[in-house]
Amino acid sequence: MIANLRVVRTTFELDVKQQAVGLFMIFGVLIQPLLIAIMAIYMLVARDPSRGIYIVVGSGMTGLWTSLLFRGTFNINAERFMGTLEGIVASPSSLAAVVIGKTLASVTLSLLSMIFSYGLASLIFRFPLNVAQPVPFLLSLLVMVFAFISFGLLISPLMAVNLSLSGWVNALEYPMYILGGFLFPILLLPGWSNPLSYLLAPYWAARVLHTTSSGVATPADILLSWGMMLILGGVYIAASYRLFEIVLHRARVHATLSLM
Amino acid sequence: MNAIEVRDLHRVFRATIGTIRRRTKEVTAVDGISFDVREGELFGLLGPNGAGKTTTVKMLTTLLIPTGGSATIMGYDVVRDADSIRPRIGFIFGGERGLYWRLSAKDNLRYFADLYHVDPDMAKRRLPRLLELVGLNGREDEKVEGYSRGTRQRLHVSRCLLHDPQMLFLDEPTMGLDPVGARELRQVIRNLVAEEKTVFLTTHYMFEADALCERVAVINHGQIVALDTPEGLKRHVEDLSVIEVEVFGIAQQMVDSLRQIPEVDTVSVENRDQKQAVRVHSKLGSAIVPEIMHRLDGNGVRLGRVTVREPTLEDAYVRLVGGEA
Repeated sequence: MIANLRVVRTTFELDVKQQAVGLFMIFGVLIQPLLIAIMAIYMLVARDPSRGIYIVVGSGMTGLWTSLLFRGTFNINAERFMGTLEGIVASPSSLAAVVIGKTLASVTLSLLSMIFSYGLASLIFRFPLNVAQPVPFLLSLLVMVFAFISFGLLISPLMAVNLSLSGWVNALEYPMYILGGFLFPILLLPGWSNPLSYLLAPYWAARVLHTTSSGVATPADILLSWGMMLILGGVYIAASYRLFEIVLHRARVHATLSLM
Repeated sequence: MNAIEVRDLHRVFRATIGTIRRRTKEVTAVDGISFDVREGELFGLLGPNGAGKTTTVKMLTTLLIPTGGSATIMGYDVVRDADSIRPRIGFIFGGERGLYWRLSAKDNLRYFADLYHVDPDMAKRRLPRLLELVGLNGREDEKVEGYSRGTRQRLHVSRCLLHDPQMLFLDEPTMGLDPVGARELRQVIRNLVAEEKTVFLTTHYMFEADALCERVAVINHGQIVALDTPEGLKRHVEDLSVIEVEVFGIAQQMVDSLRQIPEVDTVSVENRDQKQAVRVHSKLGSAIVPEIMHRLDGNGVRLGRVTVREPTLEDAYVRLVGGEA
């Protein structure tokens, strides 16, 4: 257990290091989010400023989800291309520990880049981004990191089976924006789709971040969202544990751990 | 107990071909091989490209599940007991992949030490010794992307020794290295055997197997065609002479024509820059030279030097794999 936790920590540390030394990272983590934030806030200045924080949190979550999805897909494939996937699988460590470390790195970098870009853009445009309930909001962010990592754990093992599956995983990007209620409330969707949203931890994350930032969250609401994120996260982790076993066995049967 | 026991091991790969009419194509990579490797032995698996060497290593290192037969490593089954085998073995696959190029050698080693659950204090103590063993001390903070191929390969060796495994699988470790780099790496391998590690080495260089291995299994088309000491393998060609003819451009049909001479055992062609060396094995020795020259010269092939010599271990290998080396 301690050894696997050490793997999570080192993977996180070295993944951040690897991403940080790439020039693309400066664009992806600093410049691009800043440009998007400037555009978003520029548009908000002219419209209803009271809706500002809702849109910033929503667009931030879409960014986080996209990053999680693409990095989750890319992580395993990148290891495969570098020829390191076999080294990881043949080690006594769990592949899940490596995936957790990498997902944590992706989520942390995305979160920091969004806080930086929206913070800076709001300073430039003197557009207040007030979070009405800051303590519950920050705690919700932490629970959300757990929920997102557990969802990432569910996605990543599929990539160990087959390269072509990545196309299907990419198709999950937009449905989550809608079903997760990132940009508008799910009450605007047909009633039959709501139970689907309730099964998604990112929906509960979006819900609690929106309500705490807007100041309409009751303690019961907050606890319900946290509870659902923790329960669903636990379910995802349990499912992914079994999924890792299945896909790694299949990868050894079908010889898909390496490209050559 | 043997370090490795392999019995009737098979591996078939299935690939789907076609877009609309999809059908499954089967390729047998390993076709019923059996052998044992003793503890502390340096055992070689020698064969041409595509003979089944890497597939065998991948099954023994638990990365591939065999489609038939069985294999045990230190008494553990490669399918059922993968978790028990993994901490006890180290492996290197030939080539430059398998490292994080954007990280330094030190970070790479630190990461693999964690992956292999090496105690951090122990890893700190082992790191300088391993870097010295492979001649990388002083360069450990440089990024791997700046290393030469040989340096990366040496880093691979230190990576696979981090957790002090009892057994090492080295799959064509000198592939693509310059002669000096390859010689240095062979010395590292000798040092490992001196430290009582069991080493399973695959190579398609006969001289490498000759220089390093106590016993060599020759594999071709997924089957073991000979298993002996290097000296024992040489006896396979004691009765033959080797006629080597330098030519400048030779067509496949000419090679086939030489193979049709009844007294010819095997024919192989080695490319040497602008020219090729056609190597003919025959019991007739120099008596067969006129017939070879007649066939080549009569078809307008430009000829160079002709030599007749005693067979070497490489010739034994060529004979065993039917001129495919």
